[in-house]
Amino acid sequence: MRYLPSSTVEDRALLDTIGVPNAEALLVGIPESARLKRELDLPTQSSEQEVAWQMMGLANRNTRFCAQFLGAGAYDHFVPSAIDALISRQEWFTAYTPYQPEISQGTLQHIFEYQTLICDLTGLEVTNASLYDGGTACVEAALMAVRVAKKRSTVLVSRGLHPMYREVLKTNFAPHDDLKLVEVGLKDGVTDLVDLQSKLNGDVAAVLVGYPNFLGAVEDLTALAGPIHAAGALLVSVTQEAFAFGWFEAPGKVGADMACGEAMSLGNKPNFGGPFLGFLAVKDAHKREIPGRVVGQTKDLDGRTGYVLTLTAREQHIRRDKATSNICSNQGLVALRANIFLQLAGPEGLRGLAEQNAAKAQYLRQRLLELPDMEAVGDPPFFNEFVLRYHGDYAALQEACLKESLLPGLELGRFYPEFAGCILWCATELHTRQMIESLVEILARVPATV
Amino acid sequence: MFLRQREPLSFERSVPGKRGMDLPRLDVPVARDTRPSHLKRSGFDALPELSEVEVIRHFTRLSKWNYGVDDGMYPLGSCTMKHNPRLNEKVAGLPGFTDSHPMAPDAFVQGNLELLFTLQEWLKEITGLPGVTLQPSAGAAGELTGVMLIRAYHVSKGAKRRVILIPDSGHGTNPATAAMAGYEVVELPSRPDGTISFEDVTDPVNGKVRKGLQTLVAELGSDIAGAMITNPNTVGVFEYRFREISELLHSVDALVYMDGANMNALVGVARPGDFGVDVMHLNLHKTMSTPHGGGGPGAGPVCCGANLVPFLPVPVVARDTVKVGEGEVPRHSYRLDWNRPQSIGKVHTFYGNFGILVRALTYCLSHGSDGLKEATLRAIVNANYIRARLKGAYSLHIDSPTLHEVVFSDTHQAKHDVHTLDIAKRLIDHGFHPPTIYFPMIVPGALMIEPTESEGKDELDAFCDTMLAIAKEAEEDPDALHQAPTLAPLRRLDETTAARKPVLRWQKA
Repeated sequence: MRYLPSSTVEDRALLDTIGVPNAEALLVGIPESARLKRELDLPTQSSEQEVAWQMMGLANRNTRFCAQFLGAGAYDHFVPSAIDALISRQEWFTAYTPYQPEISQGTLQHIFEYQTLICDLTGLEVTNASLYDGGTACVEAALMAVRVAKKRSTVLVSRGLHPMYREVLKTNFAPHDDLKLVEVGLKDGVTDLVDLQSKLNGDVAAVLVGYPNFLGAVEDLTALAGPIHAAGALLVSVTQEAFAFGWFEAPGKVGADMACGEAMSLGNKPNFGGPFLGFLAVKDAHKREIPGRVVGQTKDLDGRTGYVLTLTAREQHIRRDKATSNICSNQGLVALRANIFLQLAGPEGLRGLAEQNAAKAQYLRQRLLELPDMEAVGDPPFFNEFVLRYHGDYAALQEACLKESLLPGLELGRFYPEFAGCILWCATELHTRQMIESLVEILARVPATV
Repeated sequence: MFLRQREPLSFERSVPGKRGMDLPRLDVPVARDTRPSHLKRSGFDALPELSEVEVIRHFTRLSKWNYGVDDGMYPLGSCTMKHNPRLNEKVAGLPGFTDSHPMAPDAFVQGNLELLFTLQEWLKEITGLPGVTLQPSAGAAGELTGVMLIRAYHVSKGAKRRVILIPDSGHGTNPATAAMAGYEVVELPSRPDGTISFEDVTDPVNGKVRKGLQTLVAELGSDIAGAMITNPNTVGVFEYRFREISELLHSVDALVYMDGANMNALVGVARPGDFGVDVMHLNLHKTMSTPHGGGGPGAGPVCCGANLVPFLPVPVVARDTVKVGEGEVPRHSYRLDWNRPQSIGKVHTFYGNFGILVRALTYCLSHGSDGLKEATLRAIVNANYIRARLKGAYSLHIDSPTLHEVVFSDTHQAKHDVHTLDIAKRLIDHGFHPPTIYFPMIVPGALMIEPTESEGKDELDAFCDTMLAIAKEAEEDPDALHQAPTLAPLRRLDETTAARKPVLRWQKA
């Protein structure tokens, strides 16, 4: 086995030093009755070449699309070559959590810079070294809000939040008989202010709102913040498409007390949904309630600036069942991709990319609306996703698109019965005018429903 | 090689007008601005302006301040820092995988689904448990999923149970997880070898009696939802009464969760499903060599018994056999099964850290059944070799062979005012990553060493020679150890001030 430095001569020397005849003799601590008396019923070892072919075969069994007009929480953006080149350095990808700061300054300084950039994007003051993904970030945000609010046990969740995020919230709230998760309805594609006000009361710890929401529409955080803050609750903005931070104002500057969500867009591919990049940014006053690893600046014995894991008194290895969360492993390397991406883009790059995303999505929407079967669903300000009602047969549309290697938008009926027949479309800087025209051309040929 | 002592924060290098990314030509009309004026992005305070060259140099220089698995032995106990094969990285980067969208129809991601299904089958055979979910993103997320399965099991029987038993030698994530799943934690006392004590234990210092497993099961009975047990435990010892523990807990219908962080000691040798485990997680970033990435991403699949299968998170990857003519090889198609009415729901937005699962299957295929077992045995031999070579110089916590790791204590060196931290820092000067220190907490001044199967005799000897030299130095020149490290990019850092006056981001002066 090529990864194991075995040799008969050396192995003998190891066993002689230990004083056992063979390796099996070291298993004495495992009771006979617990041991496997046979070999595992699995294929035996393979060469690199054989494994490479087998795995390439699997990769090739996936359909490759010329263009994907599907976002819905996983966005296809361009990834600069520098990112893969840099993260392929063993110093980045093989290292462990930076427990020994003297030989982990690379990782620690990177996280400090990453924290700075997430705070910049969200307009908030403190963040951590990352969370797993958008859905679990919502869970951490909601549980943290309950801790911060003290003696409040209801969390309101806008129906505009990503349906999978709502599912993950539901799963994680189920064990807590003392906590309530209540949905706030939509009106015209955004959170219904009247329904929100009727559900706000002294027991509400926080309100989670998509920014922009799953349907692509931007929520007016300022308008929502008024009643939410008046009720003594926290406004948590949830962003599933981090490119929107280049288009819409930082949530922390328009009323959000906490901002969380998904930042996979920054330097990653859709990757069948993971590894992605959950984030959570909060106000300085709440920093001791934040979950996960946090890096802080300090000095070494010679007075040189350095970085360490800090505020560890919140964490599981110290506080055990009183910890702010059980999280330890996070999405470190994905956070590094985001950090490199943001430093390459800079303020002009991020703003420019956001403008291109908005332009492409607007052009796509305009061209689709020229088709007789497509109809606008309101006209809310959006970023790179929007909803159109389709009067044709979605299955036929999907089939026509797939035949031409185009992945169409998402039919919403599965998640929103009230939007059955509506399609959520997405366009990014990757979509050329030519791709958009091809899509429109194909859709124009889809036979009308009888 | 690092030639500079300092690399400033990128923000301090920013110069207006520079950029590291050029945008493509816009081939559609410029976006109309429909944003309400107060929701227009106003600006950025920190995003730096740098060229691509500067960004690449910045992250290359920073990388040189890190220690990686390719630099040398990285013997962090319980972390299983083994070799990260390059094939696994290459395969995970294939565009067929990376470009695939999680919401694409099943028919168009058959390769992904077959991959996930195959990995599930490997994990089932390795653990001896018939149910698997690949969704949890890390060990702690797996624990939470597993405990929620236990909860769903009891709820389905109409029972509300409130307690999870956890030994004091367990990882901190266990009690933190139980609390996140709404349970009260009751601590089980452990014996010196970290195994669970059936009998009550009297604390030699304060005389307090701590109730053992038997008493707790008798007193709490059907209040116990389950127990979370690390096996082999954090001292590297197999919980040799595991089956009895399991039977005792099952007698009150409490379930057994196994923390699989140390599964590298068991693959191919013993299967949790065969010795009484109901549910467990695997850390693929430990056992299956997926890289740690400086803190993640990992993957923490959960395997469970038939009694918990109905509650597994949605979706589960399922396989259908496509009907074929007589004499033909049957073909399969794969799908995501969302129709599971008793499921606890989703625990990840999509299907888990897919890219990590690709690497894990690659590891499995490369090793095969024989390679997996050989790796296990070699990991155990390596740990015991270190134990044999260092046992005179360092105080051994327990005097019988352990499995994949060995735990020493600093009691010999403490006589010279040299402590575990000093020993760890001195290892850095000699080019080794220190072991896990001060854990498990039941061992005073613990040095928990896990060499893994990746190390050959040469590297093991170099490490042991260094440890022996440090032990000698502790007697002869203790102050040199207090000053360590002196050859690292930085000396010891002030963690107290960092926590008291936290500076958690850069701000414009």
